[in-house]
Amino acid sequence: MSEVDAGPATVVAPPAVRARAGRRGLGRLLRTQPLGAVAAVVIVLFVAAAALAPFIAPFDPTAQHRDAFLAVPGSPYLMGTDDLGRDIFSRVLYGARTSLLVAVCTLVAGGIIGIVIGVASGYFAGGWVDTLLQRIMDTLMAIPGIVLLLFIAALLGPSIRNTVIALSLLVIPTFNRVSRGEMLRIREELYVESARASGCSTWRILRRHGLPNLLAPILVVASLTFAIIIIAESALSFLGIGTPPPTPSWGAMLSDGSRYMEIAPWMVVFPGGALTLGVLAFNLLGDAMRDFFDPKQSSR
Amino acid sequence: MIEYVVRRVLYGLLVIALVTVFVFLTLRLIPGDVVRLQLADAPGVTQEQLDARAAALGLDQPLITQLFKFLGDAFTGDFGISFQSQQPVTSIIAERLPITLQLGLMALVISIALGIPLGLLAAYKQNSWLDQSLRVVSVAGLSIPNFWLGLLLVTYLAIWFSWSPPLVYRSPGEDLVSNLTQMALPALALGVSGMAAIARMLRSSLLEVMRSNFVRTVRAKGAPERTVLFTHAVRNSLVPVFSLIGVQVGGILGGTVILESIFAIPGMGSMIFQAVQMRDYPVVLGAVVVFGAVFVTVNLVVDLLYGVIDPRIRYA
Repeated sequence: MSEVDAGPATVVAPPAVRARAGRRGLGRLLRTQPLGAVAAVVIVLFVAAAALAPFIAPFDPTAQHRDAFLAVPGSPYLMGTDDLGRDIFSRVLYGARTSLLVAVCTLVAGGIIGIVIGVASGYFAGGWVDTLLQRIMDTLMAIPGIVLLLFIAALLGPSIRNTVIALSLLVIPTFNRVSRGEMLRIREELYVESARASGCSTWRILRRHGLPNLLAPILVVASLTFAIIIIAESALSFLGIGTPPPTPSWGAMLSDGSRYMEIAPWMVVFPGGALTLGVLAFNLLGDAMRDFFDPKQSSR
Repeated sequence: MIEYVVRRVLYGLLVIALVTVFVFLTLRLIPGDVVRLQLADAPGVTQEQLDARAAALGLDQPLITQLFKFLGDAFTGDFGISFQSQQPVTSIIAERLPITLQLGLMALVISIALGIPLGLLAAYKQNSWLDQSLRVVSVAGLSIPNFWLGLLLVTYLAIWFSWSPPLVYRSPGEDLVSNLTQMALPALALGVSGMAAIARMLRSSLLEVMRSNFVRTVRAKGAPERTVLFTHAVRNSLVPVFSLIGVQVGGILGGTVILESIFAIPGMGSMIFQAVQMRDYPVVLGAVVVFGAVFVTVNLVVDLLYGVIDPRIRYA
């Protein structure tokens, strides 16, 4: 993709060519962005840990081992146990499940809604649809993230579904902003004009020319947003209004651990470490993709 | 210019009004009757009592009437009475808002005071090992959740140095040292991501400025590197950094919800969290609106100051 991006020739590159180049680009992305490749490996490990948790986890994540309350990390409890004698390693693995499940659902739901809103407003910029939708987006963005989440999640009650709804409201404006901005640019491009001149319907223009050209910026934002969602989900569970117990979630584990931190710091260290590592990986991947798709902006 | 300022201020007010409408409607549209919630504990409540209570709260009026009454009251600073403490919401907020603003301001100062030198250093020593390690530090700083950082700080300061911050809040007037000691850790935890974001942004914007034509001109006239950097380049590279502050404030305000709860600081963040748990809706409503108003105001001020910092920016 970067070959066609190199010069002003971008304007005339037909979307199909760009899409094909994009698929070939994945290998190049990983080769030219070593940090991004490391991040991708970490992400793959996370997904594997989440998917294979039932096979990897040495214990049932909710089983209480009455002979081992607050056990120090070691054998057989790799990361120690919590105040109820539950194995922290197993809970961290299952917590990855919760985290990824919530994040993927949110990204799909919030991403699609945000992109649809952004593309529609961007293409019809200045019209009443744009005005109405953007005022709603401004309203959502005017409330600090966690406050909005707390408000929505608390009203809906703690459940994974409600967490996804609340988090989606948080990410919709982000996807809206990016896709609207890109759409404003794309609709002025020569290829859109020629498509319009040759009689393409609005729907066809959006589908054939709009969406494919949105792909690169959306991928970057999706990766960075994924990181934000993981943190936000933990924050909600930490506050006790996200994932309800006994489902293991990193946020709730941190909240439990905060009561025992001086005698059992491992209760706080491991789930938080897993959380930070996951967030770090998605941030690095997002950065790598940005540098890759837009070499001009690269700081290197 | 004046027209622009007026238009922006009016738009800011509109957004705050929209936030109020959004919060109000969300509260009303979600199942759960405020009156029943309030009287839930009292056994043997009759329908008449419920009706009387509803009338007293104005809940027998049509929704649209309630909305406009609420909006009108909110703009005169009246958010009703807390279910929990029976105090006016406005006076509770007036007591707690300064505490959160102090914490937020400390966090912002920390992020700027650390972020700018780090960003300058990274750009100045571009591609050195220092730059590389600063890059790692800043991505890590952006990724570490502030509440985890806060927990780690308290935990390990207690374990390694047997030191814990005070858990009883004292106002700066009462006991400045105790106040600042309590605020220091949460402010640091809140400021780290801002520090990282500022350092990163400053580095890339400074490097970009250093490649621009006017810097080449300054160099060509024989100015020493220090003049090039500090007199010409830094000032120009700070503009995009400044725009980050608006975003940072959103993160800091949101972060106070958890960090104030961890560090027992009686500000807006811990207030909204308690109110949410107690289903104290008037307080929740007031808090969300005030959080929104602070955020919108900061962003407005940042936008307006933009032109002061960079005279090239024209208001259209």
